[in-house]
Amino acid sequence: MAQVQLKNVVKKYGAVGVVHAINLDIAEGEFVVLVGPSGCGKSTTLRMVAGLEDISGGEVIIGDRVVNDLPPRERNLAMVFQNYALYPHMTVRENLGFSLKIAKRPQAEIDRAVDEAAGILSLTPLLDRKPGALSGGQRQRVAMGRAIVRHPDVFLFDEPLSNLDAKLRTQMRVEIKKLHQRVGSTVIYVTHDQIEAMTLADRIVIMRDGHIVQVGTPLEVFENPVNTFVATFIGSPPMNLLEGVIRAGQVVLADGTAIPQPPGLNVAEGRKVQLGIRADNIMPEGHALPPTAHMAFVEMPVILTEPLGTETLLYATLSGTEMQAKMLNPRPVSAGERMRFGIALDKCHLFDAETGNSLRG
Amino acid sequence: MTRNRLPPWLVLLLPAVIIILAVVAIPLVLSLYSSFTPYHLTRPDTLWKWTGSFNYIKAATDPNFWKAFGRTVLLLTIALNAEMLLGLGLALMVSKVTHGQRALRTAMMFPMMFSPILVGFQFKFIFNDNVGLVNNALQSLGLTDVAIPWLVDGNLAMFAIIFAEVWTSTSVFAILILAGLFALPQDPLEAAKVDGCTPWQSFRFVTLPFLMPFIYIAMAIRSLDVARAYDIVQVMTNGGPARRTELLWTLIGRTGYVDARMGYANAMGYIAILLSIGFTVYFFLKLQTARRELGMGD
Amino acid sequence: MATASQHRIRKRALKVAHFAGLFLAMSIICLPGLWVVLNSFRPTVEIMAKPPVWIPESLSLDHYRAMFGGAGEGGVPVLTYFRNSLIISVTSTVIALLVGMAGGYAFARYRFKGKGVMFVALMASRAVPGVALSLPLFIIFGRTGIIDTHFGLILVYVAMNVPFTIWLIDGFFRQVPKELAEAAEIDGCTRWQAFWRVEFPVARSGIASAGIFAFLTSWNEYALASQLTRSATSKTMPVGLLDFTSQFTLNWGGMCALAVLMIIPALVLTFLVQKHLIAGLTFGGVKG
Repeated sequence: MAQVQLKNVVKKYGAVGVVHAINLDIAEGEFVVLVGPSGCGKSTTLRMVAGLEDISGGEVIIGDRVVNDLPPRERNLAMVFQNYALYPHMTVRENLGFSLKIAKRPQAEIDRAVDEAAGILSLTPLLDRKPGALSGGQRQRVAMGRAIVRHPDVFLFDEPLSNLDAKLRTQMRVEIKKLHQRVGSTVIYVTHDQIEAMTLADRIVIMRDGHIVQVGTPLEVFENPVNTFVATFIGSPPMNLLEGVIRAGQVVLADGTAIPQPPGLNVAEGRKVQLGIRADNIMPEGHALPPTAHMAFVEMPVILTEPLGTETLLYATLSGTEMQAKMLNPRPVSAGERMRFGIALDKCHLFDAETGNSLRG
Repeated sequence: MTRNRLPPWLVLLLPAVIIILAVVAIPLVLSLYSSFTPYHLTRPDTLWKWTGSFNYIKAATDPNFWKAFGRTVLLLTIALNAEMLLGLGLALMVSKVTHGQRALRTAMMFPMMFSPILVGFQFKFIFNDNVGLVNNALQSLGLTDVAIPWLVDGNLAMFAIIFAEVWTSTSVFAILILAGLFALPQDPLEAAKVDGCTPWQSFRFVTLPFLMPFIYIAMAIRSLDVARAYDIVQVMTNGGPARRTELLWTLIGRTGYVDARMGYANAMGYIAILLSIGFTVYFFLKLQTARRELGMGD
Repeated sequence: MATASQHRIRKRALKVAHFAGLFLAMSIICLPGLWVVLNSFRPTVEIMAKPPVWIPESLSLDHYRAMFGGAGEGGVPVLTYFRNSLIISVTSTVIALLVGMAGGYAFARYRFKGKGVMFVALMASRAVPGVALSLPLFIIFGRTGIIDTHFGLILVYVAMNVPFTIWLIDGFFRQVPKELAEAAEIDGCTRWQAFWRVEFPVARSGIASAGIFAFLTSWNEYALASQLTRSATSKTMPVGLLDFTSQFTLNWGGMCALAVLMIIPALVLTFLVQKHLIAGLTFGGVKG
């Protein structure tokens, strides 16, 4: 186990920068998820930690060693690849034991470690098969097994679940979390799926265009997104954003609709803003509105409904913007119906219209 | 432990580059030089006499050279087109077979693995006017009672050579096109069917475009050793009778080794080399374009 | 229901045509070889018989016995040629494979400027016609004294085989995901170990077939060998085959026997490579 530090880490391909001087401290035993859209530099960052990419600038520190110039094998870490990268010419047993064999450990120790890992991941009956004869989920488990056999300082996961179908993905997510609780190693996990990030992470690192946008616990980034990018990236459905201008303590939208500004915010008169409302915080009247003193009401025509069972997602328009709202205890709603919606203002966000940065402290 | 001191790809490619420079490039420079001299094997000092483009002018004004040149181009055009069409047909037929396809595929590959010299010999035997299989068969079936002079008559000899050439190399096309047919995704074909295409139309507009890169691979491979035909001709007719099947390559061989006029042979050799290289580069470029069009590039 | 029955008839006709076409094609492919094999077992009298003898009356191993016994049939030292062919082909194949593996790996794994040009240039070097290349090589080899030696021919065959070997091996390495080597490096391998313990074994069968192909090219080559070898010290079988034609009487049976000796390794090896060969060419060519 070890802590990992990135200090001003830069990656350039020729003149093109991919990762721009990022700083990140990861504590021992922490589960950190790097998340962001494709091309944001998250995988590159992970591969720099792994030693699979040169580091163009800055330092990567694992434990107390600067590892910039160490090859992967001297960094004592394990990595699970998106396509698993199982050795096709070896059996599951040989795959699991490969790293120990390379390290020239005694055969007895290798067998013990392999059996233990196979037990944890219920791979024991598959030990003599080759990867070609395994299902996707089984391959995924072998890849994880190969990682835990070595008791590495740091686990690296590069989009490990993206090749699985939805159901298996949920299942493996749970297994990964259990595994982390059991072995307690430091984990750096890369994904583009915000649900994976939310459910797995101790801390989420949201990246965009080679920069870290925000770092925080899942709830922190969900409740206090620093800008509209994080606000729309984290959480499903994405946060609704309404363009408006501050006039006398209200957000006045383009069509003249005025919504009181969220409480506790001091914003200059006439400033152009975006009002952010999550679907959970805008609900039709009469459908379990949250109890809050700061409630504002708007009327919107519903254009589409998505019944999900316990709730229905309503698509409606407000001031020319498409909004998504949640209806609890749903009833049938027909397209075109005008409904009154309550907005829980104390859960809403204000962002600067130009920079997209949050106006909350 | 930086990962890029000397670029690793260069280190890895160096042995290949060195050996090819030594065995191909440097000799070619020498042959280019000697093509400007009247170099004669038996008189080594002639290597130092510079005659400029004399040999090239001589070649350009030699009707024998132009006949051989034309015959070579004609042979390649006919042979390659026939190989492609027959290969396509063979591949389509084999792809429709359900049982024993593996055996057919293997059998199909054998001619490709025969030494060209062996192919030449084999067909020299088969087309032999006296004891050859073809004449024996024709005579036994009563189709003719005179021995047809396959390798003596100029046109018949060309036919026999082209037949031998096509026999060896059709499989290159057939096998690669077959590989293409196996890789052919079924969805577009089904979509074409639903869209109302006739079998011919779906072949023409779906299958064939998909097969093009495979055809280009085959062409590219063939272009690497079109000169294999030299071996076949060498054995079957050696350019004879009376130069009636003379190809560029046999002419070069004869001029260089039999007449020992190396300088002149090298000049003609250079023309043959440029022809071959041009041919190869053309098909490799075609191949790269076709790849890009199908989105299979790097 | 006229159209339905028409359809059925057409389908059946197509089936017959398909079968007939296939049969014809396969006969043309297989017969010449079979005929040569058959004649290698027939006495010369029967081969020369007029009218032809269709059903062999007496099969014998005479030609083979003559070929392997004493100085060889018609004074052609077949066994020596066979040995020369074997030494030259095997050695040049091993070297070409090593060189080709390095080069193929470079093309499959690294991006660099001028990669496409480099590749085409390598291939173009292979396209130089043997006869044309043999002229300057003949002069150089004559001067350096490596003419008519195994070494000289091995050198030439390595150069001849390298481009194609690179093409094939490039294709096979491309099929091996780069993550495998990365995983191996993380598992504690050096780059060198990662190559030999993971990438090489995974691509092994493909590399083997590239080797077989190189072997066959050397085994079958004639144009260069015919000029760069002079005597029994280095003559290979394709060149030796012509010894039979230089006699006054053409010894068809003896030639056929030598031909069979040349064909057998080719057939066996073809059978072994066929699957991988296609895969290598298409992967290297199409997906490259």
